[in-house]
Amino acid sequence: MRKTPILLAAVAAAALAAIWVSRDTSWDWQLPPDLPPPQVPADNPMNAAKVELGRWLFYDVRLSGNRTMACASCHIQALAFTDGVARSTGSTGEVHPRSSMSLVNVAYASRLTWANPLLDRLEDQALTPLLGDRPVEMGLKDGERRVAELLRSVPNYSELVRRAFPQDADPHSLLNAVRAIAAFVRTINSFEAPYDRYLAGEADALGAAAERGMELFFSERLECFHCHGGFNFTDSTTHVNSTVASVGYHNTGLYNLDESGAYPPDNTGLFDMTGERRDMGRFKAPSLRNIAVTAPYMHDGSVATLEEAIRNYERGGRLIDEGEYAGDGRLSPFKSEFVTGFELTDEERADLVAFLHSLTDESVLRDPQYSNPFVR
Amino acid sequence: MFLRRTATLFVALACASCSPWDYPVNIPFAATWQGSAIDCNSDGAALSDLRFYVSNVQLIDDQGQAHDVRFATEMDWQNDAVALIDLEDGSGACQNGTSGTSDHVLGVATARAYRGLRFTVGVPFRLNHENPLTAKPPLDDPDMHWHWRSGYKFLRAGVRTATDGFWMHAGSAGCDGTVGNIAACRFPNRIEVYLPDFEVGVDTVNVDLSALVADIDLDDDARSDCSSGPPEAACVAPFAALGIEFASGKQNGAQRVFSAE
Repeated sequence: MRKTPILLAAVAAAALAAIWVSRDTSWDWQLPPDLPPPQVPADNPMNAAKVELGRWLFYDVRLSGNRTMACASCHIQALAFTDGVARSTGSTGEVHPRSSMSLVNVAYASRLTWANPLLDRLEDQALTPLLGDRPVEMGLKDGERRVAELLRSVPNYSELVRRAFPQDADPHSLLNAVRAIAAFVRTINSFEAPYDRYLAGEADALGAAAERGMELFFSERLECFHCHGGFNFTDSTTHVNSTVASVGYHNTGLYNLDESGAYPPDNTGLFDMTGERRDMGRFKAPSLRNIAVTAPYMHDGSVATLEEAIRNYERGGRLIDEGEYAGDGRLSPFKSEFVTGFELTDEERADLVAFLHSLTDESVLRDPQYSNPFVR
Repeated sequence: MFLRRTATLFVALACASCSPWDYPVNIPFAATWQGSAIDCNSDGAALSDLRFYVSNVQLIDDQGQAHDVRFATEMDWQNDAVALIDLEDGSGACQNGTSGTSDHVLGVATARAYRGLRFTVGVPFRLNHENPLTAKPPLDDPDMHWHWRSGYKFLRAGVRTATDGFWMHAGSAGCDGTVGNIAACRFPNRIEVYLPDFEVGVDTVNVDLSALVADIDLDDDARSDCSSGPPEAACVAPFAALGIEFASGKQNGAQRVFSAE
């Protein structure tokens, strides 16, 4: 009886090991001393030429069908690689149902995007914005040929791609382009916020209000940290020392259409992937790092400010009085057990907001190694 | 002419391996709407998309026995396991389409008296979750892949009317695992087609889009399109026309879209 689970666990571990390198020692991640590096897929080891190529491609509008849009169009460095709007618009004008997610520390994400349990590698995820047609995002038509041509014809690219993929007889491919972009995005790390300096021993890095807010954040009374826990403030985190890739999807009571717990039909979260009723409205808890610069909030950008987000959690779910999405999220049958509500004074709420602001790392918002290389 | 040349090639292959695979098979496909041909520029209802993968092709002999058809593999639009049928040419209403077309499956079978045809619209599971960037043609077509769901769109079909229209993308959903390591999919959504009276070399497989959308109000612009997501109500009717109970993703009846003509 006991043998089967152990055997299965061994098989699963072996399968994981085949895909992920346990430790890519060749790359300097520039991390705080106690932090484990992120995992890197075995077939896409880090190197400097690859990261540099990926940075150029990330900012290159030639990767979109009509040459108007780059990855960076919806992932703007100054906004912690989000785009500041509720829902992003693709290259041909289609509005995406979801809000652009931050890419900061995404190398540590155990799953990617708001609610896709299938995606755990940036190399796979990048294909959806590049090639997807529901909705059209970058709308790269005939991508294999066009990207191969781009990598061949731009001298800087052809030089970098040969150094990035020295084993490949012909490295000019869409596959290598997404590998390079993924390698660049993995380098976007942020651990120099006031909160990090406080942890490193700088006692006055937070200030009194943020310190009080921190106590609230990590209290059982508010329960924020159950979903937004760990060094990256999300429960969907993995790294080289992880034995299991933790993944969390939660219904936070944002919607309750028709008192059935339903979410708007174009945005049902995990339910859209699994078809399991209990997955209605479940989305990944995003990292809260740099959260002060990534408004508006939630998967659909339907919450304008941090204070409004906190008030929804105080209430134990959002109340929408009228309109097509009217309903009381507090009463949703699918709501997470951690979203039960709590009371805050105005001062406590301001303290909590101050703590969230202390998670902003000004350096990652300006660091030239992540900036647009086309702008000199 | 084309057919004869292909047949000669296969006779030569068959003799070389001393096998009886010397019966040339050419299965043409055509798009129809209420009994007439439809294309991307038709008046009234026009095609807006029609591309699908065909696999597991079998001919049924007069004893009712099924016999495999081996696909010819020298073309870009079919390999030994799947053929891509592309009945849109990117013109007119087919805005998301491509100029290339392919309207038939070519292969060989063993010589018998045949009376029927069976095939699957779909990509076999073992190929469905491979990396599309390293897959062999015709599985390298990004238009036919769902990067976020993992796996291929088995069928892209759409109709455009003067006021609105409808499209569906059919493929496996509710898959377990992660991209590159998919264990199984709860909603396979593979379409099984059986045409008991199909004469090889004479008949065409008609794809009747009016049957696909028979239970859909094409002029209701509040209605959604279908991309095989388990909660999508707009998928129930077209999947039923394809013989699939959408709630389970499995075949539970005969399809009404493909017919022999």
